[in-house]
Amino acid sequence: MDDFERELQQAFDRRPAPPSLKRKLMERRQSKGRRLWVRSPFFTWQWMAASVVLVAALAGGVEWNHLEEVRREEAAREQVLTALRITSHALNQMNARLAARGKATD
Amino acid sequence: MAHDWQPDFEQLVDEHQSMVFSLALRMTGDRGLAEEIAQDVFMELDRNLGRLESADHVCFWLRRVAMSRSADALRRRRVRGMDLWVEMEDVHGASAEERSSPLGARLERLLGALPEAQRAALVLRYQEDLTPEEIAATLEAPLATVKSHLQRGLKLLRAKAEVHLKEYVRGGKYVGGA
Repeated sequence: MDDFERELQQAFDRRPAPPSLKRKLMERRQSKGRRLWVRSPFFTWQWMAASVVLVAALAGGVEWNHLEEVRREEAAREQVLTALRITSHALNQMNARLAARGKATD
Repeated sequence: MAHDWQPDFEQLVDEHQSMVFSLALRMTGDRGLAEEIAQDVFMELDRNLGRLESADHVCFWLRRVAMSRSADALRRRRVRGMDLWVEMEDVHGASAEERSSPLGARLERLLGALPEAQRAALVLRYQEDLTPEEIAATLEAPLATVKSHLQRGLKLLRAKAEVHLKEYVRGGKYVGGA
Protein backbone atom coordinates (compact mmCIF):
# COMPACT_ATOMS: atom_id res chain seq x y z
CA MET A 1 0.00 0.00 0.00
CA ASP A 2 1.57 3.32 -1.08
CA ASP A 3 1.15 6.85 0.38
CA PHE A 4 -1.80 7.62 -1.83
CA GLU A 5 -3.67 4.50 -0.75
CA ARG A 6 -2.93 5.25 2.90
CA GLU A 7 -4.26 8.76 2.34
CA LEU A 8 -7.39 7.28 0.78
CA GLN A 9 -7.85 4.98 3.75
CA GLN A 10 -7.62 7.98 6.10
CA ALA A 11 -9.93 10.10 3.99
CA PHE A 12 -12.50 7.31 3.77
CA ASP A 13 -12.97 6.85 7.49
CA ARG A 14 -16.55 6.03 8.40
CA ARG A 15 -18.60 9.18 8.93
CA PRO A 16 -20.84 9.40 11.99
CA ALA A 17 -24.48 8.92 11.05
CA PRO A 18 -26.76 11.90 11.71
CA PRO A 19 -28.45 11.64 15.14
CA SER A 20 -31.85 11.85 13.45
CA LEU A 21 -31.22 8.54 11.64
CA LYS A 22 -31.80 6.28 14.65
CA ARG A 23 -34.73 8.36 15.95
CA LYS A 24 -36.54 8.30 12.56
CA LEU A 25 -35.76 4.62 12.16
CA MET A 26 -37.25 3.76 15.54
CA GLU A 27 -40.35 5.87 14.76
CA ARG A 28 -40.79 4.06 11.43
CA ARG A 29 -40.36 0.72 13.15
CA GLN A 30 -42.95 1.60 15.81
CA SER A 31 -45.51 2.81 13.29
CA LYS A 32 -44.90 -0.33 11.21
CA GLY A 33 -45.53 -2.39 14.34
CA ARG A 34 -48.84 -0.56 14.91
CA ARG A 35 -49.88 -1.11 11.27
CA LEU A 36 -49.03 -4.81 11.55
CA TRP A 37 -51.16 -5.07 14.74
CA VAL A 38 -54.05 -3.39 12.93
CA ARG A 39 -53.71 -5.97 10.14
CA SER A 40 -53.34 -8.91 12.54
CA PRO A 41 -56.08 -11.65 12.56
CA PHE A 42 -56.79 -10.89 16.24
CA PHE A 43 -57.54 -7.26 15.44
CA THR A 44 -59.64 -8.28 12.42
CA TRP A 45 -61.75 -10.65 14.57
CA GLN A 46 -62.17 -7.99 17.24
CA TRP A 47 -63.20 -5.47 14.64
CA MET A 48 -65.69 -7.91 13.08
CA ALA A 49 -67.20 -8.81 16.47
CA ALA A 50 -67.60 -5.14 17.34
CA SER A 51 -69.26 -4.53 13.95
CA VAL A 52 -71.73 -7.40 14.49
CA VAL A 53 -72.66 -6.08 17.96
CA LEU A 54 -73.11 -2.56 16.59
CA VAL A 55 -75.30 -3.75 13.68
CA ALA A 56 -77.39 -5.89 16.07
CA ALA A 57 -77.85 -2.94 18.45
CA LEU A 58 -78.89 -0.66 15.58
CA ALA A 59 -81.34 -3.25 14.20
CA GLY A 60 -82.79 -3.79 17.69
CA GLY A 61 -83.24 -0.05 18.14
CA VAL A 62 -85.03 0.31 14.81
CA GLU A 63 -87.33 -2.66 15.59
CA TRP A 64 -88.14 -1.39 19.10
CA ASN A 65 -88.97 2.03 17.65
CA HIS A 66 -91.29 0.43 15.08
CA LEU A 67 -93.10 -1.68 17.73
CA GLU A 68 -93.51 1.37 19.98
CA GLU A 69 -95.06 3.30 17.09
CA VAL A 70 -97.52 0.43 16.35
CA ARG A 71 -98.43 0.29 20.06
CA ARG A 72 -99.11 4.05 20.13
CA GLU A 73 -101.26 3.80 16.98
CA GLU A 74 -103.27 0.93 18.56
CA ALA A 75 -103.83 2.96 21.73
CA ALA A 76 -104.92 6.01 19.75
CA ARG A 77 -107.34 3.89 17.68
CA GLU A 78 -108.71 2.31 20.83
CA GLN A 79 -109.29 5.80 22.30
CA VAL A 80 -111.09 6.99 19.14
CA LEU A 81 -113.33 3.87 19.14
CA THR A 82 -114.15 4.39 22.81
CA ALA A 83 -115.03 8.02 22.14
CA LEU A 84 -117.22 6.94 19.19
CA ARG A 85 -118.94 4.32 21.34
CA ILE A 86 -119.66 6.96 24.06
CA THR A 87 -120.96 9.42 21.46
CA SER A 88 -123.15 6.74 19.87
CA HIS A 89 -124.55 5.75 23.29
CA ALA A 90 -125.30 9.41 24.10
CA LEU A 91 -127.00 9.92 20.74
CA ASN A 92 -129.10 6.81 21.28
CA GLN A 93 -130.19 8.10 24.69
CA MET A 94 -131.02 11.49 23.16
CA ASN A 95 -133.08 9.80 20.42
CA ALA A 96 -134.96 7.73 22.98
CA ARG A 97 -135.77 10.85 25.04
CA LEU A 98 -136.95 12.76 21.96
CA ALA A 99 -139.14 9.85 20.90
CA ALA A 100 -140.66 9.63 24.42
CA ARG A 101 -141.33 13.41 24.47
CA GLY A 102 -142.98 13.20 20.95
CA LYS A 103 -145.31 10.45 22.08
CA ALA A 104 -146.26 12.47 25.18
CA THR A 105 -147.19 15.57 23.16
CA ASP A 106 -149.27 13.49 20.74
CA MET B 1 -31.50 -23.49 10.93
CA ALA B 2 -31.08 -23.34 14.72
CA HIS B 3 -28.48 -20.94 16.14
CA ASP B 4 -27.78 -19.36 19.52
CA TRP B 5 -27.21 -15.84 18.27
CA GLN B 6 -29.83 -13.46 19.74
CA PRO B 7 -29.72 -10.16 17.84
CA ASP B 8 -30.93 -6.92 19.38
CA PHE B 9 -32.11 -4.61 16.62
CA GLU B 10 -31.37 -1.35 18.43
CA GLN B 11 -27.87 -2.49 19.30
CA LEU B 12 -27.26 -3.46 15.67
CA VAL B 13 -28.37 0.01 14.58
CA ASP B 14 -25.97 1.64 17.06
CA GLU B 15 -23.18 -0.62 15.89
CA HIS B 16 -23.61 -0.34 12.12
CA GLN B 17 -25.39 2.95 11.36
CA SER B 18 -22.14 4.78 10.69
CA MET B 19 -20.99 2.07 8.23
CA VAL B 20 -24.29 1.96 6.33
CA PHE B 21 -24.65 5.74 6.23
CA SER B 22 -21.04 6.24 5.06
CA LEU B 23 -21.37 3.65 2.29
CA ALA B 24 -24.58 5.29 1.04
CA LEU B 25 -23.10 8.78 1.35
CA ARG B 26 -19.95 7.90 -0.58
CA MET B 27 -21.94 6.14 -3.26
CA THR B 28 -24.55 8.90 -3.73
CA GLY B 29 -22.85 12.05 -2.44
CA ASP B 30 -26.12 13.25 -0.90
CA ARG B 31 -26.55 13.28 2.90
CA GLY B 32 -30.35 13.34 2.81
CA LEU B 33 -30.55 10.47 0.35
CA ALA B 34 -27.88 8.54 2.27
CA GLU B 35 -29.96 8.86 5.44
CA GLU B 36 -33.07 7.61 3.60
CA ILE B 37 -31.13 4.67 2.16
CA ALA B 38 -29.72 3.82 5.59
CA GLN B 39 -33.24 3.86 7.07
CA ASP B 40 -34.52 1.56 4.32
CA VAL B 41 -31.59 -0.80 4.78
CA PHE B 42 -32.23 -1.10 8.53
CA MET B 43 -35.98 -1.56 8.02
CA GLU B 44 -35.13 -4.41 5.65
CA LEU B 45 -32.73 -5.77 8.26
CA ASP B 46 -35.59 -5.75 10.77
CA ARG B 47 -37.68 -7.87 8.39
CA ASN B 48 -34.84 -10.31 7.67
CA LEU B 49 -33.19 -10.51 11.08
CA GLY B 50 -34.54 -14.00 11.73
CA ARG B 51 -32.69 -15.37 8.72
CA LEU B 52 -29.28 -13.96 9.65
CA GLU B 53 -27.07 -16.31 11.59
CA SER B 54 -24.29 -14.29 13.17
CA ALA B 55 -22.90 -10.79 13.76
CA ASP B 56 -20.55 -11.26 10.77
CA HIS B 57 -23.47 -12.32 8.61
CA VAL B 58 -25.34 -9.14 9.59
CA CYS B 59 -22.32 -7.00 8.72
CA PHE B 60 -21.90 -8.69 5.33
CA TRP B 61 -25.65 -8.45 4.66
CA LEU B 62 -25.77 -4.74 5.60
CA ARG B 63 -22.87 -3.90 3.29
CA ARG B 64 -24.43 -5.81 0.40
CA VAL B 65 -27.89 -4.27 0.83
CA ALA B 66 -26.48 -0.75 1.40
CA MET B 67 -24.49 -0.96 -1.84
CA SER B 68 -27.43 -2.38 -3.74
CA ARG B 69 -29.90 0.26 -2.44
CA SER B 70 -27.40 3.01 -3.24
CA ALA B 71 -27.05 1.68 -6.79
CA ASP B 72 -30.87 1.64 -7.09
CA ALA B 73 -31.06 5.24 -5.87
CA LEU B 74 -28.38 6.33 -8.35
CA ARG B 75 -30.25 4.57 -11.15
CA ARG B 76 -33.50 6.32 -10.22
CA ARG B 77 -31.75 9.69 -10.11
CA ARG B 78 -30.08 9.02 -13.46
CA VAL B 79 -33.49 8.35 -14.98
CA ARG B 80 -34.61 11.74 -13.65
CA GLY B 81 -31.47 13.30 -15.14
CA MET B 82 -29.86 14.47 -11.89
CA ASP B 83 -26.18 14.27 -11.06
CA LEU B 84 -25.95 13.67 -7.33
CA TRP B 85 -22.32 14.60 -6.89
CA VAL B 86 -22.77 17.90 -8.71
CA GLU B 87 -25.80 18.49 -6.49
CA MET B 88 -23.73 17.85 -3.39
CA GLU B 89 -21.21 20.49 -4.40
CA ASP B 90 -23.96 22.98 -5.12
CA VAL B 91 -26.10 22.34 -2.06
CA HIS B 92 -23.66 21.61 0.69
CA GLY B 93 -20.70 23.69 -0.41
CA ALA B 94 -18.04 23.52 2.30
CA SER B 95 -19.35 20.89 4.68
CA ALA B 96 -18.16 20.28 8.25
CA GLU B 97 -16.03 17.41 6.96
CA GLU B 98 -14.46 19.65 4.36
CA ARG B 99 -13.58 22.23 6.98
CA SER B 100 -12.05 19.64 9.30
CA SER B 101 -10.27 17.59 6.59
CA PRO B 102 -10.08 19.47 3.30
CA LEU B 103 -7.97 16.83 1.55
CA GLY B 104 -10.33 14.04 2.60
CA ALA B 105 -13.38 16.00 1.41
CA ARG B 106 -11.73 16.76 -1.92
CA LEU B 107 -10.68 13.16 -2.40
CA GLU B 108 -14.29 12.17 -1.77
CA ARG B 109 -15.43 14.66 -4.36
CA LEU B 110 -12.99 13.22 -6.88
CA LEU B 111 -14.27 9.76 -5.99
CA GLY B 112 -17.74 10.97 -6.98
CA ALA B 113 -16.51 11.62 -10.49
CA LEU B 114 -15.47 7.98 -10.99
CA PRO B 115 -17.73 5.42 -12.70
CA GLU B 116 -20.14 3.82 -10.23
CA ALA B 117 -18.62 0.32 -10.31
CA GLN B 118 -15.11 1.62 -9.67
CA ARG B 119 -16.40 3.88 -6.90
CA ALA B 120 -18.16 0.96 -5.23
CA ALA B 121 -15.01 -1.17 -5.30
CA LEU B 122 -12.84 1.65 -3.94
CA VAL B 123 -15.28 2.55 -1.14
CA LEU B 124 -15.43 -1.06 0.03
CA ARG B 125 -11.64 -1.38 -0.26
CA TYR B 126 -10.64 1.81 1.56
CA GLN B 127 -13.60 2.55 3.84
CA GLU B 128 -14.36 -1.03 4.88
CA ASP B 129 -10.86 -2.41 4.39
CA LEU B 130 -12.20 -5.42 2.46
CA THR B 131 -10.08 -7.72 0.30
CA PRO B 132 -10.92 -8.03 -3.41
CA GLU B 133 -12.48 -11.44 -2.67
CA GLU B 134 -14.75 -9.94 0.00
CA ILE B 135 -15.66 -7.06 -2.32
CA ALA B 136 -16.55 -9.56 -5.05
CA ALA B 137 -18.81 -11.43 -2.62
CA THR B 138 -20.44 -8.19 -1.40
CA LEU B 139 -21.11 -6.85 -4.88
CA GLU B 140 -21.89 -10.31 -6.28
CA ALA B 141 -19.39 -9.67 -9.08
CA PRO B 142 -16.59 -11.82 -10.53
CA LEU B 143 -13.25 -11.41 -8.74
CA ALA B 144 -11.44 -10.45 -11.96
CA THR B 145 -13.95 -7.67 -12.60
CA VAL B 146 -13.54 -6.32 -9.06
CA LYS B 147 -9.75 -6.39 -9.35
CA SER B 148 -9.98 -4.52 -12.63
CA HIS B 149 -12.35 -1.90 -11.12
CA LEU B 150 -10.00 -1.42 -8.19
CA GLN B 151 -6.97 -1.02 -10.42
CA ARG B 152 -8.62 1.31 -12.91
CA GLY B 153 -10.44 3.29 -10.23
CA LEU B 154 -7.26 3.84 -8.26
CA LYS B 155 -5.37 4.86 -11.38
CA LEU B 156 -8.08 7.30 -12.39
CA LEU B 157 -8.38 8.74 -8.90
CA ARG B 158 -4.62 9.15 -8.68
CA ALA B 159 -4.56 10.97 -12.01
CA LYS B 160 -7.40 13.26 -10.96
CA ALA B 161 -5.73 13.94 -7.61
CA GLU B 162 -2.51 14.91 -9.35
CA VAL B 163 -4.41 17.49 -11.40
CA HIS B 164 -6.83 18.79 -8.76
CA LEU B 165 -4.96 18.41 -5.49
CA LYS B 166 -1.59 19.87 -6.42
CA GLU B 167 -1.43 21.89 -3.20
CA TYR B 168 -1.33 18.67 -1.18
CA VAL B 169 1.45 17.10 -3.18
CA ARG B 170 5.04 17.85 -2.34
CA GLY B 171 7.76 16.30 -4.43
CA GLY B 172 5.38 13.76 -5.94
CA LYS B 173 4.28 12.48 -2.49
CA TYR B 174 0.97 13.02 -0.72
CA VAL B 175 1.05 14.90 2.55
CA GLY B 176 -1.58 13.53 4.89
CA GLY B 177 -3.87 15.47 7.23
CA ALA B 178 -3.51 18.94 5.62
